[in-house]
Amino acid sequence: MKRLAELKQSGHKAFVAYIMAGDGGIEKLGEQIQHLQERGVTAIEVGIPFSDPVADGPTIEAAGNRALDEGITLEKVLEEMQRFDFEVKVPLIIMTYLNPVIRFGAERFTLEAKKAGASGIIIPDLPFEHRQLIEPFAKQQELVLIQLVTLTTIDSRLKEILKQAEGFVYAVTVTGITGSRDELAEEVGAFTRKVRELSPVPVYAGFGISKESHVDMLRDDVDGFIVGSAIVQAFHEGRIEDVEPLIDAVTAPHSV
Amino acid sequence: MTHVKICGLMEEQHVKAASSADAIGFVFAPSRRRVSIERAQELSRLATNEVQRIGVFVNASYEEIDKAVKTVPLTMVQLHGDEPDELIQRIEVPVIQAFSIRTPADVEKLNSSIADYVLVDAPGTDYRGGSGHVFDWSLLENANLDHSRLILAGGLNKDNVQAAISQTHPFMVDVSSGVETDGRKDEVKIQQFILQAKGDSMERTQEKTIDPVGFFGRYGGQFVPETLMKAVKELEAAYEDAKNDAEFQKEYHHYLKEYVGREQPLTFAARMTEAWGGPKIYLKREDLNHTGAHKVNNAIGQALLAQRMGKRKIVAETGAGQHGVATATICALFDLDCVVFMGEEDIKRQQLNVFRMKLLGARVESVTKGSGTLKDAVNEALRYWVTNVEDTHYLIGSALGPHPFPTMVRDFQSVIGKETKRQILEKEGRLPDAIVACVGGGSNAIGMFHPFIEDASVRLIGAEAAGDGVDTERHAATLTKGSEGVLHGAMMKILQDDAGQVQEAHSISAGLDYPGIGPEHAHLADNGRVTYEAITDDEALASVIEMSRLEGIIPALESAHAIAEAKKQAQSMTADDVLIICVSGRGDKDMATYAEKMEGLS
Ligand SMILES: Cc1ncc(COP(=O)(O)O)c(C=O)c1O
Repeated sequence: MKRLAELKQSGHKAFVAYIMAGDGGIEKLGEQIQHLQERGVTAIEVGIPFSDPVADGPTIEAAGNRALDEGITLEKVLEEMQRFDFEVKVPLIIMTYLNPVIRFGAERFTLEAKKAGASGIIIPDLPFEHRQLIEPFAKQQELVLIQLVTLTTIDSRLKEILKQAEGFVYAVTVTGITGSRDELAEEVGAFTRKVRELSPVPVYAGFGISKESHVDMLRDDVDGFIVGSAIVQAFHEGRIEDVEPLIDAVTAPHSV
Repeated sequence: MTHVKICGLMEEQHVKAASSADAIGFVFAPSRRRVSIERAQELSRLATNEVQRIGVFVNASYEEIDKAVKTVPLTMVQLHGDEPDELIQRIEVPVIQAFSIRTPADVEKLNSSIADYVLVDAPGTDYRGGSGHVFDWSLLENANLDHSRLILAGGLNKDNVQAAISQTHPFMVDVSSGVETDGRKDEVKIQQFILQAKGDSMERTQEKTIDPVGFFGRYGGQFVPETLMKAVKELEAAYEDAKNDAEFQKEYHHYLKEYVGREQPLTFAARMTEAWGGPKIYLKREDLNHTGAHKVNNAIGQALLAQRMGKRKIVAETGAGQHGVATATICALFDLDCVVFMGEEDIKRQQLNVFRMKLLGARVESVTKGSGTLKDAVNEALRYWVTNVEDTHYLIGSALGPHPFPTMVRDFQSVIGKETKRQILEKEGRLPDAIVACVGGGSNAIGMFHPFIEDASVRLIGAEAAGDGVDTERHAATLTKGSEGVLHGAMMKILQDDAGQVQEAHSISAGLDYPGIGPEHAHLADNGRVTYEAITDDEALASVIEMSRLEGIIPALESAHAIAEAKKQAQSMTADDVLIICVSGRGDKDMATYAEKMEGLS
């Protein structure tokens, strides 16, 4: 994850792609990761399907259900990642709801995730207060537990969370669930600026980012963007090229 | 969790008091607690199947032991004499061999026993078979021992059992004189002992790594997306404030009285009492509440709180539609905006309630995802809340969800148990022997049970939905079949597969059709204070007919699960006993189901 800090130093913006592991079959996972890293994304979030994804909108929920129908589990994803026979060139971050981790065992999860080449973990329903359930095990394996901050995170809490932040901070840019939006709220710029001022690590904006206009709007106030639903849907429909302009819009050198 | 054995039982009421123990013991050797095989057989009938029956012998012959094993029947044999290994080998059930421990050398002997379990005791003074004296537990602490076969006995009581467990980590603790008063077993002491042994072993194994606020043992917490944390924390503070505000309490009780029609009677069910031929049956009449179920108690409390927090928009989920109707009703009364999420499947089977909600001015959103039942409705309600959190209160309908919901809903529903306690003391001059309530998410049950938790003599029984049967794929028996997991904001017990995916629940009763159980119930199940039994669809339907015809009260399908379980409980109770059933709601909403399932009823 040091790479992310270096990228920030260099002034380049990061593009983090979210994919749903096993959507279209487990063999697609490696293909999608290779494709995305070739296309120059900065990091990849590997989503684990869950039966009750309350932080997700219809696109990711549907992708998760397709993966569940394929019999995909946390264990299968980690095994598949351990079998990759290509060079993984970007940080991989496991994004999963808490229950599959508890079922699998927190310690075992961090161990296997490390073996699978992951650098970090995101658990959207594990709030800062309860991070002790996972963090000590993650630390042992040198995996970073990425924290989320949102438009509703009050200032005192924001400071607490940012004090502990590692890897990058996930700044949630909508008050709501994942999914493509036409527009982002006006207040988002001020929010990400505030987070960026306080954060010791890069700040990436995610949830609802699907258009170049969103990137243009926030470019100066964040260190990178996380794109989920747009990528998941494009892979599902076999038209990932459609997302490439968005990747370029973020990663291309930009004169300020 | 450490198992508990209550040994030396001689009387019916003591066997019953030991119902949440894992094992009961009958002494067949010379002792003041000695019973005959026939007497043990009689007593054994009063215990549930899950309880191990253990016979205690000193140098008895194989024939004598075998006769007791077959007659009582015993599920384990405990030997306190100098029985040879050949005898131990011949016994068909698992064997516990007892040892007196004085020195470290005595500890060594344990490892050479061929018995399935070894029981350690202090040296006896009078008869062999236990002395009631404590020995030095530290002898066991560092010994090279298989603790999974260790049974600890000797001088245990409710005050030292916790220390004994944490020092020796036994498989089971065995108590006899420690639960007696003046040489006779004492119901209250038995239950206190079980609670201490189980409750504290819970604490001991609990990962103490997380903030205990909002937890019941290991269950509870606030497992929600960060966007909701602010709302959850605000609610926590607002509720804390309201709870201690006399004005708020006054207003809440005002509406309960003037609008809901409380207090509700505790009706003596004379014909059911007669028909079942056991205990006196009383019915707590939540069916008489305005809107037809207990749900309104909670809806009023939360709606008042929402307004106090300046929120005039309400989102709710509903299963049977009772909570949706209660919420829609209160929103009409207080002029609040109301959206209710309801599974497509439930909309079909509870059409009357759907129409009622609409008539009351609520917007009903159909949820087509998943199984189209309560779990999916909660998911959608949570998503809606995440998106509209700034001006909307999530009025959750059961003792579920992130802290403070389980506590708050329990408190609002505790009016049920508080009234019941006062009423039964008025009518019977004493506490009941048992109380049965149905559990979906667990709100009517926890409201009924909570005021009785400290009363160890009152057995508390939750009835969950077994659907087609707990051994089929189609049930909602979360405590019988579930395991620990995080769903809808809390660590609780859920039905899940090996990969941690939550499974769909099935019950004919829309209100029990949920694959989770609130955190406080999960805790009470673990520590043994409440027992949970599963009732099938068919058993519930039979109880609907039975109560309708015996008492002229048509119960809700959910409540019918409690009635069916009560009938089973009544079989091992006597005419001196008192049994209370929480009739959580009336059956009007279920009339279409009843008409369909009971076609040709005559
Ligand atoms: C009449 C009635 N009883 C019981 C329940 C189950 O809920 P809980 O376990 O929260 O009391 C419901 C839920 O809809 C209900 O309508």
